[in-house]
Amino acid sequence: MTALEHALKELKDDVILMWIMVEAQLQAAHKAMLEYDQHLAREVMQKEKRINAYELKIDEQCEDILARYQPVAVDLRFLLAVLKINANLERTADIADGIARYVIDAPEGFDHDLLQSTHLLDMYTEGMTMLSDTRIAFEREDTALARSIFQRDEIIDTYNLQALDIVTEHLQQGSAHIRQELLVLSIIRKLERVGDQAKNLAEEIIFYVEAKVLKHHSRKEL
Amino acid sequence: MERPILEVKHFHAWFGDHEVVKDVNLTLYRNKVIAVMGPSGCGKTTFLRCINRMHELTPGARTEGEILLEGENIYEMSPIVLRLRVGMVFQRPNPFPHLTIYENVLAGYLLNNIPLSRTEKDAIVEDSLRKAALWNEVKDNLKKKGNFLSGGQQQRLCIARAIAMKPDILLLDEPTSALDPISTAGIEELTQELKKNYTLILVTHNMQQAARVSDETAFFYMGELVEFAPTRQIFTAPRDQRTQNYITGRFS
Amino acid sequence: MLVHSFKHIRHRQIRSTLIRVVIVCFTLLTLLPLLYILAYIIRRGIGAINWSFFVELPKPVGERGGGIANALTGSVLIVALATLMAVPVGLSSALYLSEHSRGKLAGFIRLCIEVLTGIPSIVVGIVAYYWLVRPMNSFSAFSGSVALAIMMLPIMIRSAEETLKRFPVHLREASLALGVPYYKTILKVLLPCSLSGVLSGIMLSIARVIGETAPLLFTAFGNPYLSFNIFHPMHSLPLLIYNYAISPYDSWHQLAWGAAWVLLMWILLLNVLTRIMIRKWSVRY
Repeated sequence: MTALEHALKELKDDVILMWIMVEAQLQAAHKAMLEYDQHLAREVMQKEKRINAYELKIDEQCEDILARYQPVAVDLRFLLAVLKINANLERTADIADGIARYVIDAPEGFDHDLLQSTHLLDMYTEGMTMLSDTRIAFEREDTALARSIFQRDEIIDTYNLQALDIVTEHLQQGSAHIRQELLVLSIIRKLERVGDQAKNLAEEIIFYVEAKVLKHHSRKEL
Repeated sequence: MERPILEVKHFHAWFGDHEVVKDVNLTLYRNKVIAVMGPSGCGKTTFLRCINRMHELTPGARTEGEILLEGENIYEMSPIVLRLRVGMVFQRPNPFPHLTIYENVLAGYLLNNIPLSRTEKDAIVEDSLRKAALWNEVKDNLKKKGNFLSGGQQQRLCIARAIAMKPDILLLDEPTSALDPISTAGIEELTQELKKNYTLILVTHNMQQAARVSDETAFFYMGELVEFAPTRQIFTAPRDQRTQNYITGRFS
Repeated sequence: MLVHSFKHIRHRQIRSTLIRVVIVCFTLLTLLPLLYILAYIIRRGIGAINWSFFVELPKPVGERGGGIANALTGSVLIVALATLMAVPVGLSSALYLSEHSRGKLAGFIRLCIEVLTGIPSIVVGIVAYYWLVRPMNSFSAFSGSVALAIMMLPIMIRSAEETLKRFPVHLREASLALGVPYYKTILKVLLPCSLSGVLSGIMLSIARVIGETAPLLFTAFGNPYLSFNIFHPMHSLPLLIYNYAISPYDSWHQLAWGAAWVLLMWILLLNVLTRIMIRKWSVRY
């Protein structure tokens, strides 16, 4: 293995590690939300610092490889994709952090029926699966798997649109937990962005493996 | 569509029984820098030397196929005439040591006994040296012999000598291999100026140089032209796996 | 351990100095005879040098004075003619050999040249005698020149070939790439760049033959009068030295010493000129 290949492998391993950490953050926030575990929520906020440190580390590694090896073709595309993936993962971690904050600020646990009826739980599960699937796609350079993300994001988007109607209905019917309804809406918004992040991740993977740019294009051009 | 300046059709070249260039097909247009790259022994230099028919000077050399310079078959014209239209700059700067700088620039005319008036000579010398970015450095020393010039300056003198003949195409065979990094950078910058007036075909074993200076790049491997495309494409998304392996250093 | 290595080094240093001394001594030994000869000739010959020495013909025995005018002009003419004959042949051969360094013909030519180098000068003289003197029915400067030319060839060709071979391929390519045809490249690039080497080869071969006596014995033969006719016998310095040195007359001995001095100066001059030429005109690649 050349020095460049070695550096790229190290970089990839680090990215995957960060990816797993972000997945863990989302899972922990999920658990904290379900079980109203404020202690766990605080842990999530603590771990956020580690993720930020990793983001800096990966950026630095990319800069180093670019400067020293002036890579081209697939290696260059890989680095450009990693830079974007890095930013996307960090934003996803922020979302988990945000959800954890809601848990800490909530005076009481979330009503499970509410979580169910607004499809929040479905969205959350789908979002987490999409995140781990993109990680697997990245690891294996599996662009077919990456492409499957786009449709699934549309499902999340649909849930997001529906959620507004459902909550409005609840409020019109005189729901007592107005604050909770609004919090749930906020969390759903955040989960919609998780879906978006996963979509961006998929686009970057396809870019670096196939040199196809899918940003800002319609789905038909897939 | 403008007419191509060079067309290569099913071109092969041999040294004795050894086929060094295999079935090359290529079309080049004017005022571009075309880089030809590949690992050692891939046939790129041999191919270049076929374009001005220097290849056939080696005993046992043989070619097959067509090369058309502006539509004319180069094997149907006199090699002398061809070499006046296709100039060459070599890896090692080689100004004639027994001629002054002035005479060196005009060497193509002087050695061929092509008559020129004094004013014509002066004009050609100044124009060529200016185009080669050497005029200011030597204009007071034109009557001296060129051995006080640095490697980079000597190479630029050779470039001036070649372009003094007003060629259609300028062939450059690893022109910066023997030069230090600063002289190399100077020559690379020069190529961007030169392409306004000439078409340059540059053989290099330095990929980064090919990436820096050329508009289109041809990748040769084991005698075959593997891929020919705009440089940007070759270096971001090459179509052939062999090209990708070469430029990413997966094999030497 | 350290003490050991110091001693060892000292031994090696002593040995090194010893060997250096030996080398210098042997070199001086080789120089000695040369210097002695030079000194002797200069001392003995200088006495004969005066203006009349150069312009007068040798006087009959008994008369004082006389000069070497006929021998001097003869030598100049014979050598000049020999050079004129040898240069085209020699240069062309050198060009051929340098262009075709491999190949059967080239190898054969080289073999012939090496054999020529080894042929005794008297044999060359005899050959010239049978070739030219017999059919022409007279001794002549011309036949002498031919003999000398044959002797000049190997040195000239070797030296010129070496110079021409050193001409770098990349300069040849530069010329060809400019559309200059092959023969013009040779004439206008190869030869001018190799000029100093070729000229010095010619000069060295001249220096080699101006003192040759044996080939002239039965070709030019000698002439007591001043003559410029190359188809008649002609005198030369080596012949004069040979004849007068073995004669019993002192005045003739003196002339011989003077002639030897002239020859010596001529050879020295040629060698010095060669060196100057190499330094001034040689082209660095």
